Amino acid sequence: MTDRRRNLFVLLLVLGLLIASAGVIATKPTKQGLDLQGGVELNYQAQGTKTSPLNADSLSRSIDVMRKRIDQLGVAEPEIQRNGNNQITVALPNVSNLQEAIQQVGTVAQLEFYDWEPNVIGPDGKTDPENPNVTGQHDANATGNVMTLYNAVVLASKQPERLKPDDSREDSLFYAVDPAKKHVFGSGTGGSVRYGAETKAQALLNVPKAIRAKAKVYEVKPGTVILRTEQAAGVKTKTDTWYVLQDNVALRGQDIKDPEQQFDSGTGGDGAPNVTFQFTSKGQKIWQKVTREIADRGSRALGIGSSDPADSNQHFAIALDDELVSIPYIDWRKNSDGIDGSNGSEISGGFTIKSAQALANVLKTGALPLKLNLIASSQVSATLGREALHQGLIAGIVGFIVVALFLLAFYRLLGVIAVVAMAVYALYFYALIKLVPVTLTLPGIAGLILTLGVAADANIVIFERVKEEIRGGRSIMAGIATGYKKGLSAIIDANVVTIMVAFILFVLATAEVKGFALTLGLGVIVSLFTAVLATQAILGTMGKSRLLSNPSALGAGGEKGDRFRIDYMGYSKWFFSFSGVILLVCALALGSKGINFGIDFESGTRINVALNKNVDEDAVRSVLSANGEGDAKVQKVTAKGAGASKFQISTATLKPAQQARITNALQSKYGFAHASDSSTIGPTFGQTIAKSAIIAIIASLLVISAYIALRFEPKYAVPVLIALMHDILITAGVYALFGQEVTTATVAALLTILGFSLYDTIIVFDRIRENVPRMPRAAFSQIVNRSMSEVVVRSLATSFCSGLPVLALLLFGGETLKAFAFALLVGTISGTYSSVFIAGPVLTAWKEREPVYRRRHASIAAENGGVVPAFATAGAAIEVAPKQRARRSGRLTAPEDPDMGVSREEFDEMVRDLHVEPVRGGKGAAVAEPKARPTAPPKPQRPKLDPSADALPEDVVMPDRPETATGKPKTRSSAAAKRRSKHGRPR
Amino acid sequence: MGALAWTMMGLALWHFTIFIPDHFWAGIVGAFLGSVLGAILFGLIVNGFSVPGQHATDLGTVLEAVPGAIIGVAVVYVIGLRREAKNPPLGELAA
Repeated sequence: MTDRRRNLFVLLLVLGLLIASAGVIATKPTKQGLDLQGGVELNYQAQGTKTSPLNADSLSRSIDVMRKRIDQLGVAEPEIQRNGNNQITVALPNVSNLQEAIQQVGTVAQLEFYDWEPNVIGPDGKTDPENPNVTGQHDANATGNVMTLYNAVVLASKQPERLKPDDSREDSLFYAVDPAKKHVFGSGTGGSVRYGAETKAQALLNVPKAIRAKAKVYEVKPGTVILRTEQAAGVKTKTDTWYVLQDNVALRGQDIKDPEQQFDSGTGGDGAPNVTFQFTSKGQKIWQKVTREIADRGSRALGIGSSDPADSNQHFAIALDDELVSIPYIDWRKNSDGIDGSNGSEISGGFTIKSAQALANVLKTGALPLKLNLIASSQVSATLGREALHQGLIAGIVGFIVVALFLLAFYRLLGVIAVVAMAVYALYFYALIKLVPVTLTLPGIAGLILTLGVAADANIVIFERVKEEIRGGRSIMAGIATGYKKGLSAIIDANVVTIMVAFILFVLATAEVKGFALTLGLGVIVSLFTAVLATQAILGTMGKSRLLSNPSALGAGGEKGDRFRIDYMGYSKWFFSFSGVILLVCALALGSKGINFGIDFESGTRINVALNKNVDEDAVRSVLSANGEGDAKVQKVTAKGAGASKFQISTATLKPAQQARITNALQSKYGFAHASDSSTIGPTFGQTIAKSAIIAIIASLLVISAYIALRFEPKYAVPVLIALMHDILITAGVYALFGQEVTTATVAALLTILGFSLYDTIIVFDRIRENVPRMPRAAFSQIVNRSMSEVVVRSLATSFCSGLPVLALLLFGGETLKAFAFALLVGTISGTYSSVFIAGPVLTAWKEREPVYRRRHASIAAENGGVVPAFATAGAAIEVAPKQRARRSGRLTAPEDPDMGVSREEFDEMVRDLHVEPVRGGKGAAVAEPKARPTAPPKPQRPKLDPSADALPEDVVMPDRPETATGKPKTRSSAAAKRRSKHGRPR
Repeated sequence: MGALAWTMMGLALWHFTIFIPDHFWAGIVGAFLGSVLGAILFGLIVNGFSVPGQHATDLGTVLEAVPGAIIGVAVVYVIGLRREAKNPPLGELAA
C-alpha cells in the first residue's frame, strides 16, 4: 500500500470512528459512579463458616444472595464486585439510608434454633437447666445469666472444646479485649459490628494501633457460642447483654421455607408484626422431635421448683447472626407430643413492620454462605455528587484549553493538527466510556483529564523530532517522515510503561481508584491511535499543501537550538546537591511532622456537612462535644457549592446511629444546605489498602525495571529505579512538609508519577541509545551531554504539557481531586528534574566505569591536556540506521523518502560520515568511497581530527572483542562485517 | 514509617557522594546501595531489629540513619579501593 493510500485509509477510519462515536454519545447513557450521582457504598470482608469455607464459589454464592436482596430493595443498577480473594464491594446508587442498606445487604441471616434450658451456661461455667438464675425461667430473655460481652467472652473462653457435628462452627473464635476497660473490640463498622475473629492476629487488627500492645486475646473454642439478648423493637443502640450457650444447634435456617412478614392475629395475638415460615420436610421431623423433647422435659420438671405448671414450661431459642430474636416456650400440657411442623411456625416479638419485612426478606433469599464484616462504608449525597461532576467537567475543559493553547503557541500548524487529534481523542474516549460501559467516577474523570496530557506528549515528542530533522537540513516532508519514524520508539516505550502501571493499579487498587486506572489505561491506548496514526495521516495528506512549505509554520524556522547546550554532566554535582538538600529537608519534615494519613489508612469516620448558617469551627465542635464526640477534628472547607459554611468532621470509627445523632444535631441547630456525606473505614480495610499500595508500588518498580532492561540494557534500569525512588520519596517528603493528607488517591497519583517520570527518562535514554553508536570515539559523558542538549526541550515540553491538566485539576477539580492533583504536580516537577539531572548523571557515572569508556576517557583526556571536553567538538556523528532497516537494500545515499531527495547538508554529512579516517596508530582503515550520485557535490575536505570526535567502530569495541580460539583477536574483516550488519552500517 | 525515614535519609546522603572520587565498588550505584542499605541496617540494629511505626517515628529516627549511611558508603569505598589495588582499571593502565 502506498503512503497516500495508507493515509487515506487512516483518515477514512478516523472519520468513520468519529461518526460512530457521535452515534454512541448521542444514544447511550453515561454510567456514573456513586461519587457523581450519590448513593451508598459498602465494603465487606468475608469469613468462611463451618458449612462453607471461604473460596471463589462461596464468594460467588454470597454475591448472588446479596444481589437478590438488593433487587428486593428496588435499587436500580446496583454494582456488586469481588475485590481480591475475600472482599466484596456493593454500590447502591441513589440510596440515602446507610443503616437500612447495611441491614438489608450484609446480614448473614444465619438462622439457628437452640433448645434453651440444657444449653445456657451459668456463672460457674456449667449448665443448670432447672436453675432460673441461669436460664431465666419465665422470662428467659431478660433474666438468667445475662452478662456483658466482656464477661461472656471471659466465661466462654474457659469452656473446653466440645466439637460435635451439630455445632454452628468447628474452629475457635478469638476476641481481642482491653482488660483495663473491660471492652471487647469488634470488627466492622455500622450496625454490623462483628465480634470474634478466625485468628488471633485478625482479632488484634480490630484494636487501635496505639493500644494494641496492651490488648489481650481470648480464645473461645468450638462447642460454645455467645449470643446477644433479644433487642427491643426499633432500638438504635443495642444493649450490651449476652448469654453463653453450648453450641448444640437443633435446627438451621435451611430447614425452613416461605418466610413472610405477617401480624400476630391468632388467639391471644397482639397484632404485632411477626415473621411466619414453613418447615421443609426434614425440618418438620426435626422440629417435632425437638419440641417433643422439650415438652417431655417440662412435664418431668413439674414440681421441682414450683407448683405452677407454667414454671416448668421449657424454651427454645431462635438466633439470627449471633443475636437472639425470640425465646418462646413450649407449653408441655398443650403439646405433649411436640409441635407438628406442618403448619409452620413464627418468629415474633420485638419487630416493627419494617424490621419484620427485612427479616422475612433475608430469610427468603437464604443465608449468606459466608460471614461478612462491614469494613468500610460511605454515603454520598446526590447534590455533592452533582457538584463534583460539575467541577470535574470544568477542570477537564480548562485542561483541554490550556494544553491546546500551549500546542498552538509552540508548534503552530503542527499544534493545530495536534489539537484536532486531541479533540478526536476526547470524542473517541467519551464514546468508549459509554460503549463499554465504564462507570465514570471522579478519579476516572481525573484519569481522563490526565490522558489529554499524555496524548499531547506523544505529539510533542514527534513534533520536536520533526523540527530537529527539518532544522538539520531535511525537507519538510522528509523531516515529518523521519520524525514519526524516529519518535515512535520513545512514545511506545513510555506509553507501554504507563499502561503497565495502570494495569497494576487496576488489579490491586480499591474500587474508587480502579476507575482512574481503567480510564488512564484505555486513554493511553486510544491516544496512541489519535496522536500518532491520525496526525501522521493528516500531515501526510497535507504534504503538497502550501501550508507546509515554510518551516516557520511548523515552528522549525530558527537555527538548530544550542540554547540548551550545557555541560549537564559537569554540573551534575550541583544538581545532585540540590536534590540531596531537598531530600534532607523532606526527611527531617518526615521525622518532625510525620505523614498525615487519611482515614483510608488510619480508619475512622469522616462526615462532610454544608450548613445554612455561617458558623465557625468552634460552633460545630460544641455541637459534637454535646453528642459525645468532643475529640473529633473539625476543619472548615472552602469549597464551592450550596451552603454558607462547610465542614469536614473526622472522628474515630462511628456506627450509623452515632453518625445520625451528630448530623441530626447539626441539622437541627444550623440547617443543612443538602444531605451530608459520610465515609467510614474500619481498621481491616485500612490495612488492606496500605498493603495493596505497597504491593502496587513494588510491582510497578519491578515491571518498569524489567521493561527498561529489556528495551535498553540492564544498566539503564538502575538509574531509572533510583530516579523513581527519588521522585516517590520527594513527593512523600513534600506531603509531610505541607501536612497534606495521604489518601488512596495519593497512592494512585504516586503510581501515575512513576509513569510520567519515566516518560521523560525514556526520552533522554532513547536519545542516548541512539547516539552511542553514532559517536564511537566520544566519552560517555559527551554522548549524554549531546543527547541531553538535543532532547531537553522536548523533555521539558512534555512535562509542562502533562503538568497543565494537573494544574487545571488542582485549581478547578474540587476538594476531592485537589490532594490527587497536588501529588501529581509535585511528582511531575520532581520527575522532570530527576529524568534529566539524576538518571542521566547516574547512568554516565556508571557507564564511564566500563573499560571501553575508561579507555576513551583516558585517551581524550591525554590529548586535551588532561581535560575531557563537555562535547565532542569536531566531526559529525555517524548516521546509524535503526536495526530494523538493516535488511533494506537500495542505494547507500538514498533518502528515507524516495520521493524527496536529500538536502545538500544532509548529503555532505553522509559523505563525511563514510570517510572515517584511520586513527590511533593506523588501526583504522578508510571505508571505500561510495559511488556518489551524479548530482552529488564534490567530496568535501575531511575535517580536522579531534580526539574526542567519532572514531571507527573497531576502536570502540576492540577492548571487549572476544578472542578467537588461537588467542588472537578476530580479524577486523569478520568482526567489522558483523558489526556493520548489526548496526546497519553501509556495506 | 521508620524504614521510609531511613531510606529517605540514606538517599539524601548518597547524593553528596558525587563529591567523593569514584573509587566505590560498583561506582555510584555501589555508593547508593551502601548508603541506603547502611542507613536501613543501622536503623534496624539501633531499634533492636524492629521498624518504628508511624507514631514512633520522630526526628531521632531520621538521624539514626546518618551513621549507617556513612558507614555503608565507607565500606563500599574501601571495598572499591581494594579491588582497584588488585586490578587497576583499564583506563588508568592506558593512561
